[in-house]
Amino acid sequence: MVNLDSTEIQHIEDIVGADGVSTIRESCVAYENDVASLPSLTEQIIRKKFDLIAQPRTVESLRRLVLYANEKKMPLVPRGSGTSGWGGAIPAKAGICVNFNRMSTILHLDNFGLTVTVEGGIIYRELLMFLEKLGSTLPVYPSSATAATVGGFIASGGIGIGSAMFGEIADQILGLEVVLANGKIVRIGKLVLENDPLDENECSWLEENFPHDNLLEAVVATYGTIGFITKATLKIVPMLQLRPFACAFHDMETLMKAAILILEKAKPFNLRFLADNYTSKLKALIGYDSEMNEFILTGALMNTIYENDDSLEFIDIILKETGGIILSEERASYYWRERLFPLRIKRYGPSIVPSEVLIPLENLNEFYMEISSSIEWEKFAVEGTISKDGFTGFLAWVLDDERNKYSYLAGWYRPFEITSRAVRYGGKPYAIGLWNAKYSEDFFGKDLYYALRSLKQKVDPNNLMNPMKVFGGRVIPGRKTQAAGFIAGAIVFLIAALFGPPLLGLSWLTEFLMNPILPNFPIPVFILGSIGGGILGYIMAHLMTLNLAFSLALPFLRLMGRIWNK
Amino acid sequence: MTDFEALRMKGQKAEPYVCASCGNCTMVCPVFNEMEWEQYGPRGKLSVMKSIFEGKADFDEEFARKIFLCSLCEHCSSVCTTSIQLDRFWELTRAEAAKAGLLPAPIQAIRDSMLKYGDPFWMGPGNRMIWAEGIEDMVNPHIRRNASVAYFAGCNATMKAQVQGIPRSMVKIMQHADVDFTLLGEQEVCCGAPLLWTGDYESAPELANKNTDLMRDLGVNTIVFSCPSCINTWRTVYREFLGVSIAKEFELLTTSQFIHRLNAEGRLEYEEQPMITATFHDPCVSARRLGITREPRDVIERIPGVYNVEMLASEKETKCCGNHALLSSVDPLMASRIAERRCREVSVTPATLLVTECPRCKIAFDIAFNSINYSIDRLDLAELVAKCLKEEKE
Repeated sequence: MVNLDSTEIQHIEDIVGADGVSTIRESCVAYENDVASLPSLTEQIIRKKFDLIAQPRTVESLRRLVLYANEKKMPLVPRGSGTSGWGGAIPAKAGICVNFNRMSTILHLDNFGLTVTVEGGIIYRELLMFLEKLGSTLPVYPSSATAATVGGFIASGGIGIGSAMFGEIADQILGLEVVLANGKIVRIGKLVLENDPLDENECSWLEENFPHDNLLEAVVATYGTIGFITKATLKIVPMLQLRPFACAFHDMETLMKAAILILEKAKPFNLRFLADNYTSKLKALIGYDSEMNEFILTGALMNTIYENDDSLEFIDIILKETGGIILSEERASYYWRERLFPLRIKRYGPSIVPSEVLIPLENLNEFYMEISSSIEWEKFAVEGTISKDGFTGFLAWVLDDERNKYSYLAGWYRPFEITSRAVRYGGKPYAIGLWNAKYSEDFFGKDLYYALRSLKQKVDPNNLMNPMKVFGGRVIPGRKTQAAGFIAGAIVFLIAALFGPPLLGLSWLTEFLMNPILPNFPIPVFILGSIGGGILGYIMAHLMTLNLAFSLALPFLRLMGRIWNK
Repeated sequence: MTDFEALRMKGQKAEPYVCASCGNCTMVCPVFNEMEWEQYGPRGKLSVMKSIFEGKADFDEEFARKIFLCSLCEHCSSVCTTSIQLDRFWELTRAEAAKAGLLPAPIQAIRDSMLKYGDPFWMGPGNRMIWAEGIEDMVNPHIRRNASVAYFAGCNATMKAQVQGIPRSMVKIMQHADVDFTLLGEQEVCCGAPLLWTGDYESAPELANKNTDLMRDLGVNTIVFSCPSCINTWRTVYREFLGVSIAKEFELLTTSQFIHRLNAEGRLEYEEQPMITATFHDPCVSARRLGITREPRDVIERIPGVYNVEMLASEKETKCCGNHALLSSVDPLMASRIAERRCREVSVTPATLLVTECPRCKIAFDIAFNSINYSIDRLDLAELVAKCLKEEKE
């Protein structure tokens, strides 16, 4: 695999600047993870090690880095702050980590047009602080806003805080500048800049090769597999009166009914729920009997004082109808602050395996009940963010302990199980990243997916831009995978050789297999055949795709997990 | 190679696994903001620690140096999603580095000084009272006399020329308020905090015993501190070392708490000042560990003609000056750059005076303002109060 020589490192230093390059192992380790702790066996199907970390400062240096990586066939993995859990920012085929830490400037604010243009590496927290000082805010930002980058959220897509009023992040983007995998810099949509050296937004190449109405869809939620986001123009909204609210319910069904009504009548800015298995684990709720072990629906209104007063009256009526309890303003403020800390639950793991799906809000209760009956209640904690389109992000944190290697590995079937069940309830994965590549078609829709795949082949024929993400790809088998392939191949041949011919009544074949192939070579044919099967299995392990690897491994993990739990 | 016994004993060994990798700590880390590489931020270092525990990386000299490239400002702990006490974790990891013989040379030198002289500056007890030169008449009668209030100035304020105005001002304030107070004089030894920062947990209790025994002998009830690290050590660390709560035995007050009380009792009278706009820099330990943020502001606003304006990041969100936990010894340039960053935040306020409540912060800002070539008056809170007192009480 990649491993760079000193000339290549020197060349990258020339492109990015020597202070923006690191190859020391300790540095690379710090960039190789996201919020999910992976079982060590993962390294048997991906090569989870960066060879170099690059921190470009300018679009031009990023473009030159992309061109050089193409020339040398080096994988590039974009990374904002690594605050997601779907493997989008971790290496799968080694290579170069492109960290956007140093491309984090606020470029332009248009208070009249209500837009802000930023570089992709800016942290949401900084952008929000800047905007709030000037009386504005972002319509949608992620719950990881304290550390997540704008480019990272756009590249992974999805909903966040504010989605109850404004929808997905994709709806908030007016324009993007992207360095495509072929080194072309394209401007999509309307990028608002002052004193811009490039007068016009240039995206003719993309228009020709991505025949789709909305060019932004080539970049949003595709994890940098098509191109890296360098600039974004986002919508902003005036910061009106923000009124947090929170209510408690005894069961998910009433919470769901109330949520549907609140979404419709009160039109909140944000709407989030916490299930009983989440609230039961939070030590901060000890002493709050009406909240601990209960289902919490919390959010905030953002409107004029009069509208907010009316909305609160609506909420009051809805709660009376559905049987919920309104919590005090102080508690509502607590939940509002906590919106940025969903990972608090990890304290009770200490490891977590995240699983998030989007499901129709009206199926929330049924889905929750099904998941609760199939996964040990004490092992997971559910919360979610509700979007204005009637979908809810159903975020199930599966709690575990990675130090118990085998039980942790076995437990990894759970997120995949949750995703596969969500599909049956009209849902889909929240994001694709690395682990959900097999659901890409469901996630994007058939037309868009095939348009994206075709674009990927044109723009990145060597699959160097964030390889294996979104579109899958061949695994990098480790020694254990290769050995497993060999053993599996040999066993399959043996079973076929021993039981196949007798069952089919082919006695001549049985005789052939049991006898040596040559009189002077006293090894029966079936043994040689098994070795051949093993070699075939070994080759298959190298040709296996990530999706196939999951399909093969998940039933074993599920079985292992159930045995373990018993 | 260390066995990480210190971390295990204190129940901290699982913390790298508890880390949610959310990055909150990294975004507020002053060292990360200077270096811009993950391995210098808390999240990156925890990730490396995890690799070390799993045998995938080495606890070597290079990594040990990074453990000391931290000002223990606690900003990371205050924003940690999973409530990891990162400052505590790094302190204990420093102990592991000391055990493994991986202390950076400047840290080893400070440790040697602490053990030999009872201060981190190789100065010794003979230099403990140099701050009182010229005002011996006022100071000497108070040295080791029996009194209910003691003033514990700490090593920086007593030995560093730049900040010796602080104990001198405190003496002036006490005398103005007719406080019957005592000083430990040359027998005062370091509170022990620097020793802990060098990872030496074994020698620190001896210093704790020396100081507390002296206080008991003098019949002290209340101890006033000029340095937030000293009071924090007395309040929290001594309890761990000595097994008794010093905070229950003595009343431990910061300068601002003490002056705030004197103000409330009407024992300080001020001259009207000519419209001074000040901004208060909260020392990290005061704001985040001790939670003392209201009192210093009240003290400033009590002085007629002095007004306080806030910096963008203040109170518990305060930013580090870079001169804490020996960072300035391991990498003085980085410490200075951290201070410069804070100074720039001061420079965008309308303030003409920067007030703080920690000798370390004041030293850091003196250097940093000089290097960014920005001129602003800088005073410790005690210095400001002493300067504004009426010469003669009515």
